Amino acid sequence: MSLLHAEYLKLSRRKLYPMMAGLLVFLMGFIGVLFYVLLPALPEAAGAGAPVPDRPEAFEFGAQQVAGQAWWFAVILATAILGGELATTVWATGLTRDSRKVNHIAARFSVFTVASWLAFILGTVVWALITFIAAEGSGSPTTGEWLSLLWKFALVAGAWTAIGIGAVALTRSVAVAMGIALGISFLDSIVAPFVDFYETVSLTAATNGIFDVGGEGPFSGFIPGGEFTLTHSLAVMAGWAMLGFGLTWWGLRRRDA
Amino acid sequence: MTAAIRVSDLRKTYGATEALRGLDFEVPGGQLTGFLGPNGAGKTTTFRSILGLTRPDSGDIEVLGLRIPGELPVLTKKVGCIIEEPGLIKAHSGRVNVEIAADTLGFGHDRIDEMLEFVGLTADAGRKADEYSKGMRQRLALAAAMLGDPEMLILDEPLDGLDPAGQHAFRARLRTLVEEGKTVVISSHDLADIEALADHVIVIDKGRLVSQGPLEDLLGEGRMRVVVSDVARASEVLKAIGMDSIADDEGLWVEASDGSEIIRALTAEDIYPAEVRRARNTLESVFLGITGEGDL
Repeated sequence: MSLLHAEYLKLSRRKLYPMMAGLLVFLMGFIGVLFYVLLPALPEAAGAGAPVPDRPEAFEFGAQQVAGQAWWFAVILATAILGGELATTVWATGLTRDSRKVNHIAARFSVFTVASWLAFILGTVVWALITFIAAEGSGSPTTGEWLSLLWKFALVAGAWTAIGIGAVALTRSVAVAMGIALGISFLDSIVAPFVDFYETVSLTAATNGIFDVGGEGPFSGFIPGGEFTLTHSLAVMAGWAMLGFGLTWWGLRRRDA
Repeated sequence: MTAAIRVSDLRKTYGATEALRGLDFEVPGGQLTGFLGPNGAGKTTTFRSILGLTRPDSGDIEVLGLRIPGELPVLTKKVGCIIEEPGLIKAHSGRVNVEIAADTLGFGHDRIDEMLEFVGLTADAGRKADEYSKGMRQRLALAAAMLGDPEMLILDEPLDGLDPAGQHAFRARLRTLVEEGKTVVISSHDLADIEALADHVIVIDKGRLVSQGPLEDLLGEGRMRVVVSDVARASEVLKAIGMDSIADDEGLWVEASDGSEIIRALTAEDIYPAEVRRARNTLESVFLGITGEGDL
């Protein structure tokens, strides 16, 4: 608990987090207003059919949009903070020589994941408000459906946080770690639709799987993970998180502080 | 006296650079040891190796009877350290920074107030670390390093950049810790600091031990300063009785422990010195003599 408290204290005064959360909220708000207020108001768009789902599907569509932003949010948060710590010997001391290395990694992983998770919820709330006011249709997800978003966001946040801390622990460079995470995100989404074997372990596919993206429709063949079972998606997410966690441990162990 | 640190045949290479080339030394327990060497001598690499931050290529390190790195997890609780600039979180107060250090290192909060008082920061504990002077940041780092009531402190350049008042305050606290029986090892660019503080001195150069021992032994008994008008003739007279000397514009430095023989020899030749006195060696002169370098 003391390590979690320390990590909470450290994150609580970081300007990076409110800035990033503000950016996520702005993005979600902007997209929501664009889709549900501006585009429907344009004369040339009238009658062309809504480009996005009406209520109640609009709410889940928003959650999918938030999940699509997850990689950058969790990765930047994790790499910037852990990378900054590793550049400062006093904290690197604790990370690299302390016998509680696994505890240190787990504390950071937990706090970064929760921080990203809260931001995702905030983004979803903003989207939901805009949708509730401006979207066509009626109805809203059940309480159970809302609650299911909580663990789905936690999984996505955890997987990308683990990738972020793993990359920075290996490279000791925030910029390189972000580049690696960007590369993973890009290649993962590019390769998965075309390579069947890779699709089964793709993080993009697993994310699509738990958010029910691409299961049906004319382009479903190009959206990986649409046919994933929940168990399969969970296993892939957990696998990526464990890989990132393991790489973090190894990265901190193999190099001098 | 029991050695608190034993290092033998320590070697570390960074690429083509040999930072440590078979370094051997011992740090006595319960004393303040100054760790000296020119830039690039390997001081920081040695400290980092002792603390487990750097893995040496070979060699043996034993700290407080524990083998490093094998028993590092046990040692971590027994040794406090300040290596390089303390990485404080500037948006937090000094006190919260120490709380974070306590949580991170696995110590309780019960000694925080005591340590803040020890380093003289009780009144400023609520101020943001961003508003601290360098001296205050160093003292805060010392408070954090002392949280676990360690048996030993290893401090890399702790006085570097402090103003005279800050240095005085820091030195006083280090002496207090030694009086309490703790072992303190510090490196410093300022030889006068080490001379004023240390009981024991270790000098390394180019990754090897140059000298080690009690400060008094290292400084020796000193030389005699002889001020005379005819420096060249005085030098010849003293050489004739087996005393080597070094001349400068005002007189001679003579390797001798007693001035009476010098006076007797010079006056017998009608040379009357204006001054004959014992001039104690300084650590700087000894250091420059044994390393041949002026840049610490």
